[in-house]
Amino acid sequence: MNTLTTTTEDHRIALLAALAITIHIAESALPSPLPGIKPGLANIVTIATLCLYGLRTAAWVLMLRVLAGSLLLGTFLSPTFALSFTGAVASLLILSVARLIPGKSFGPVGYSLLAAMAHMAGQFTAAYWLFIPHPALLHLFPILMTAAVLFGLVSGIIVAAMLKRIQ
Amino acid sequence: MIQCRRVTAWLVLTTAVLLSACSRPELHHAQLFSMGTLVDISLWDASPEQVENAERIIQQQLQGTHNNWHAWRPGPLTETNQQLRTGEWSICPPVVLPLISQAKQLYRRSNGLFNPAIGQLVSLWGFHSDTLPQGPPPEPTAIANLITQKPGMDAIAINGQRIRSTNPTVQLDFGAFAKGYAIDQIIEKLVDTGINNAIINAGGDLRAIGRHGNRPWRIGIRNPRQAGVLAGIELTEDESVFTSGDYERSYEYDGKRYHHIIDPRTGYPTQGVRSVTVIHHNATEADAAATALFVAGPRNWYQAALQLNIKYAMLVDDKGVIHMNPAMANRVQFETTESPEVILSKKL
Amino acid sequence: MKSNLVTRADWLIIIASIALLPWLYSTVWSNDPGDGDEVHIVVGGKELPAISLQQNQILTIQGNIGPSTIQIADGRVRFISSPYQGQQCVHSGWHRHNGEFTACLPNRIAMLVTGRTTRFDTFNY
Repeated sequence: MNTLTTTTEDHRIALLAALAITIHIAESALPSPLPGIKPGLANIVTIATLCLYGLRTAAWVLMLRVLAGSLLLGTFLSPTFALSFTGAVASLLILSVARLIPGKSFGPVGYSLLAAMAHMAGQFTAAYWLFIPHPALLHLFPILMTAAVLFGLVSGIIVAAMLKRIQ
Repeated sequence: MIQCRRVTAWLVLTTAVLLSACSRPELHHAQLFSMGTLVDISLWDASPEQVENAERIIQQQLQGTHNNWHAWRPGPLTETNQQLRTGEWSICPPVVLPLISQAKQLYRRSNGLFNPAIGQLVSLWGFHSDTLPQGPPPEPTAIANLITQKPGMDAIAINGQRIRSTNPTVQLDFGAFAKGYAIDQIIEKLVDTGINNAIINAGGDLRAIGRHGNRPWRIGIRNPRQAGVLAGIELTEDESVFTSGDYERSYEYDGKRYHHIIDPRTGYPTQGVRSVTVIHHNATEADAAATALFVAGPRNWYQAALQLNIKYAMLVDDKGVIHMNPAMANRVQFETTESPEVILSKKL
Repeated sequence: MKSNLVTRADWLIIIASIALLPWLYSTVWSNDPGDGDEVHIVVGGKELPAISLQQNQILTIQGNIGPSTIQIADGRVRFISSPYQGQQCVHSGWHRHNGEFTACLPNRIAMLVTGRTTRFDTFNY
């Protein structure tokens, strides 16, 4: 019988993902004009992970959060899940693109803003194409993007403050 | 510096990602003021090149309409009218010929109610001018003189490229019929460029193809007597909506109102009707039909619609009573606060 | 690690994202909302015929999961009930202005209030 060997990195991922899931679930209780679209405070964990351990770990944490979070909330493979998933993929894409820039061009605030906006835009696109292809849905877009910018900034500042403490 | 430039590049990328989130089929709405007509264009889900193309096509076609078929400004139509006056065979300008042959057909099918050969009468009433006439109305003897000569499209004979008129009083004035013809040509060209969802509305007369996304196009029919909408209609696939109204070009003299839809049988503006709205696939025929039904009046519009193969027609008489066929009644949704009195005809 | 945690690139992103917002509002919300005249209900991807907000009534619409109830009264419209837990669309309350939009996403039902100006694509006269 084989025992599953785990690395330090696995433990780290598990821990961080657990933290992210907790925030994700707490957040799901908040009201939103479009069910499934959330401010994304769990983003804090993703961005901190990205700054501390790199993109690979951050990607694991993010995808685990979306999957496990939806299983725990009972929304797995539901519309809400599809929205979360698209948002996560979109923010991962933009983060990997941002990481491609050589040198220390972005700090946590920049990453967080980019991720939050991509997340919202991704969710919104999914909501539009998958569920309600009606132009009227667009009226919500500016409001949602304002929220994304606001929460992206806040989470980014929180991460920056966290990293400063850790130093 | 290099870093800064790269950052800018990523910014552009971010914006592109965000914008792609908003990319969706959308409505392109434009208004062109071309050749004295306000043209209202709606295109659904067309690419920027298609939009640009469409606007160019529309400009060109309307310019053509204006230059070629103007009833009193010198051009191919006024040339044709001069030829017709001589009674001799002569080559007809190629841009005018197809209109004449189609108008001849519609003249016959409407028993002469649609008669664009009465240019002299329209001119006598003062409507051959960019500004509205002030009156007074023409002398009854002048009108009677023209009417006894019976100018009609049947007096024009076509032989290949050549035409002649056996009646010297025949003078062509196509009016909105030319506009319908231009709209048909525009739609044909737009379809060629790959546009499938559009409304072309030239001064109130329109043809719509396709749909507005997942719903049909919605048209508001203006109330002939007050501001606002009389009724709404949804158009599917490919249809034209034409309205002839006594309010379009008219003047008041000595307390009486005179409008531009002249009854070719009496020589006077048609009485008893405020407006006629026709839905038909082809814009050219829709215009001829709207005019013919208007002249036919509340008693005879149904017969004229039958002869012209019109499936949807609505006539508002001078008391505001609405006459229409049952299929039309199923399609119009009245928008007035009180529902108007409606008289349904037999099926068309 | 550098003590300066907000980099120049960060500032650029912050400024760009804040500048983006007014532009988004102005493009998406270009027309001033007035009172709405009718409501358009979209079920799945299909739009039902528009219903006047002057016709007081209660409608039951079969959505993806179950029936949603919509009430129209005195020029306003709202969701009364929806078959899923959150019921956000019910909590969003009455909608009366041109352009107001609410959706019950899990049930795939959305409604949009429109005014007279947006009602017709073009006019015939």
